[in-house]
Amino acid sequence: MNWEFIEKYLPMYREAAVLTVVIGSIGIAFAILIGLICAMVLYHKVPVAKHIVNGYVELSRNTPLLAQLFFLYYGFPKIGINLNAELCGVAGLAFLGGSYMSEAFRSGLEAVDKIQEESALSLGMTKYQVMKYVVLPEAISISIPAFIANIIFLLKETSVFSAISLMDLMFTAKDLIGLYYKTTESLFLLVIFYLLIILPVSVIGSLVERRLRYAGFGN
Amino acid sequence: MPDLGIDVLLKGSNMLRLLQGLWVAMKISLVSIGISIPLGLIVGTLMTTRFKSLKVIFRIYLETIRILPQLVLLFLVYFGSTRALGWNLSGEMASIIVFTLWGTAEMGDLVRSALVSIPKHQYESSEALGFTKGQMYYYIIIPQTIRRLLPLSINLITRMIKTTSLILMIGVVEMLKVAQQIIEANRMTSPNAAFGVFLVVFILYFIVCWPFSTLATHLEKKWR
Amino acid sequence: MKKLLAILLTGILAVGITACGNSAETASAKSEGYRTLDEIKESGTINIGVFSDKNPFGYVDENGTYQGYDVYFAERIGEDLGVEVNFVSTEAANRIEYLQTGKVDIILANFTVTDERKEEVDFALPYMNVALGVVSREDNEITSLDNWNKDDSIIVISGTTAETYLIENYPDIPLQKFDSYATAKEAFENGTSVAWENDNTEVIAFSLQNEGYTVGIPSLGSNDTIAPAVTKGNATLLDWINNEIEGLAAEKFFHADYEATLTDTYGSDYEESLVVEGGKTN
Repeated sequence: MNWEFIEKYLPMYREAAVLTVVIGSIGIAFAILIGLICAMVLYHKVPVAKHIVNGYVELSRNTPLLAQLFFLYYGFPKIGINLNAELCGVAGLAFLGGSYMSEAFRSGLEAVDKIQEESALSLGMTKYQVMKYVVLPEAISISIPAFIANIIFLLKETSVFSAISLMDLMFTAKDLIGLYYKTTESLFLLVIFYLLIILPVSVIGSLVERRLRYAGFGN
Repeated sequence: MPDLGIDVLLKGSNMLRLLQGLWVAMKISLVSIGISIPLGLIVGTLMTTRFKSLKVIFRIYLETIRILPQLVLLFLVYFGSTRALGWNLSGEMASIIVFTLWGTAEMGDLVRSALVSIPKHQYESSEALGFTKGQMYYYIIIPQTIRRLLPLSINLITRMIKTTSLILMIGVVEMLKVAQQIIEANRMTSPNAAFGVFLVVFILYFIVCWPFSTLATHLEKKWR
Repeated sequence: MKKLLAILLTGILAVGITACGNSAETASAKSEGYRTLDEIKESGTINIGVFSDKNPFGYVDENGTYQGYDVYFAERIGEDLGVEVNFVSTEAANRIEYLQTGKVDIILANFTVTDERKEEVDFALPYMNVALGVVSREDNEITSLDNWNKDDSIIVISGTTAETYLIENYPDIPLQKFDSYATAKEAFENGTSVAWENDNTEVIAFSLQNEGYTVGIPSLGSNDTIAPAVTKGNATLLDWINNEIEGLAAEKFFHADYEATLTDTYGSDYEESLVVEGGKTN
């Protein structure tokens, strides 16, 4: 292992890691937003909108992110829609993640016992209050494990950004292999940096999951 | 109607080549899943046994595979293995290895959680009813496990097919690479091919994955 | 706690895997990394790495057959060796890796000879001249890289001499890097960057094949050559290729190659300046 090489290119990886994390986080934030909206639409069975959401979920879950990105980044400009690579990355991640997050929230919402909602209503809470104070908090705590699993999944998916020329960790490794032929060192740094990003999320996930088990009611 | 460049696919054997590219991807995922399911059954069952050390080893294996992006694993196996172990792997072979490692880990975990989720009283009741161990597994435990497992493993197939899109990056000529080649060879005559061809690729992935995921959802609802 | 521990161990293991990779590397890279001439002949197939998206040097036509200047030569090699040619699609950044790990026997993918690369692989005699060039849009022609506007970027392909040149000589110019010719050209057409720097042969071809583009800088950097490459130490194959290239001079093979594959793009203007016959550069 050539440590000099590693030291020299550490900053490049750090920059790439920042890009991965920043675009990943923005994409995931949008995915959560889309997921919440979609889950609400499905839960309340909003007419028309629910069909659109269903169609979107099917489309997004049954196509690979890479195909979505290629279409978005290389195909769309042909019909006059030119997005830069960063925007494409965020959009692709949000499009893909939205449906996964929606599924997580929806199953959380559905898992909340109907009795909870009925009791809250009979206590004189408005529908909005019931949602905000009773159903949502419970639903979210139920869906946390799936939610964290999705975040890890999406962070891992960011590795395909290299295909649309974003200088993420994957591209940096590939580029250094191509430039200086230091395969082992480049791959070593690649693994380390992905672990640095994803391990903490995974650890926090398992800690939170353990705590949340006590938050369940009656089980 | 602007030129969307879909007509490129009607030239020569372009459409056929695209489908062949899809078949390459399908083949890799089907072979991998074919190996992963039996291996996953074994790993999953072993993970429910009492051997602590075995459990720890499988746990580590599972977490390693899960935490690294599939693309990183592909790179490690494709480029790393030759250097570390002197194996000469083709891109296809490297993909099958990675997908099998990954599939076995996922499948093993599914099997484990399916087995664990069967309540203890099921075992106890069947014993009380005088079933032999074989009968108990054959009539009680395995049918229930399969019901829980089948939809999830079908979903795994969809995930594998989708993930095969990555193997383009280790030099396997699959659907996306063929798409690029077609666009490149026809750059002069149909400059908008990137839209049409990538659209068709997108739709083809959907056509292949959708039946699997619909079947999985259907089974899940039916057997709930 | 157990899970936490497991996760931690995972990390250590993963690091271990790559670290082990390193210790064994020096040993394996130098030993059996290649197939000798006899082994290739015996197997009946030779694996040749070519581009599949670099028109007109190496690409795939609408019937799925490999075509181009490099491919024409590759086919001749197969013919004279008496073996089948198995074309392996490669990207620029993978070329050395493919040779070092024995995934191909020869790289015939417009591979420019450089001193750094010579340390990693063995080059045979050259068969083409090359320098770098920069293509830009006609309405925004780039004729110099000095006084660069920092908001603009240049497209390069990862692992090419163009990338190395810019990193070394113009470290301040923002680069937009792509891993394949197909994606780089697509992005350039879509207006991602103001210019694309690559082998001048390729950018000239691009400007001739596509309307609205011009090569504002036709020659940049040093004048280099393009040659076949084999895995370091594969002397039997290297000698055979060198003899082949020298022998082909008599029939003016590379001129015929040019006329068959490049005239459509370049006309005959570049024939004398591009083609290297018998490995002899002027």
